[in-house]
Amino acid sequence: MNLDQLMDLPGALAAFSYTDKGDLKDHRVREGSEITAQVLDLLAHSCVANMAVATLEARGWESLTGQKGFEPLQGFSIVGLEWSAVVNGKCGVVMKNRDVNYEAAFNAIQACEAA
Amino acid sequence: MHIVKQLMAIPGVIAAGEFAYRGDRFSYEGALTAEFARMASILCRSNTMSVNMQSEIFDSFAENCGCRPVQGWIVRGGQATVCNIGNYFAFIENRPELLNDVMTIMRAKVGDIGDDLLVSLYARIGGDVKEALY
Repeated sequence: MNLDQLMDLPGALAAFSYTDKGDLKDHRVREGSEITAQVLDLLAHSCVANMAVATLEARGWESLTGQKGFEPLQGFSIVGLEWSAVVNGKCGVVMKNRDVNYEAAFNAIQACEAA
Repeated sequence: MHIVKQLMAIPGVIAAGEFAYRGDRFSYEGALTAEFARMASILCRSNTMSVNMQSEIFDSFAENCGCRPVQGWIVRGGQATVCNIGNYFAFIENRPELLNDVMTIMRAKVGDIGDDLLVSLYARIGGDVKEALY
């Protein structure tokens, strides 16, 4: 799964890949979208931070409560007013909320990481 | 029907709850002890504050880019997922279509989160929070 294929997801406005530090590597933006490369770069940095925090929380939660099933994390999503970003460790996709399919997006970015 | 009860009626929802933006109260139903529900409420409130702070930064670079105010977030685990919309959270199993169903219900029932969320989240800092933020 590559960025062009991520853009085929319903309501996709942008797709991007990023380094372990959150620097933007590559991106696609739907024409007419308000999303800029600068926003995607910031988003990628926040994704790295949020994935790290979520891993910390998942590990702590499993250890404290004995509940399993969170690790390994498959991804993180931030749900904005008009769009949602779904990311994992390397790829992300931004989709309009009215068309978003979260499960399809999480599955797609998993495949993107494997590519 | 109350949102939490409605969520708990869906097969595959492990637990659901509500926390006060101020951080001093919570309620829940499902497979959590009161102490774990308290921890979950703290975790969800903290993450909500964090993603809202991040969206303020995005917005400062590209005004009206469509992110702010943040409505919620999702952490997708291997076999379970945590969903948060506004001040409601749900722990769910990873079953086909369950995440989409839960998110649709939470967005519809909680409604759009407004700009006053950050003021409520930061209320305990004191002072004129509204002026400091906006």
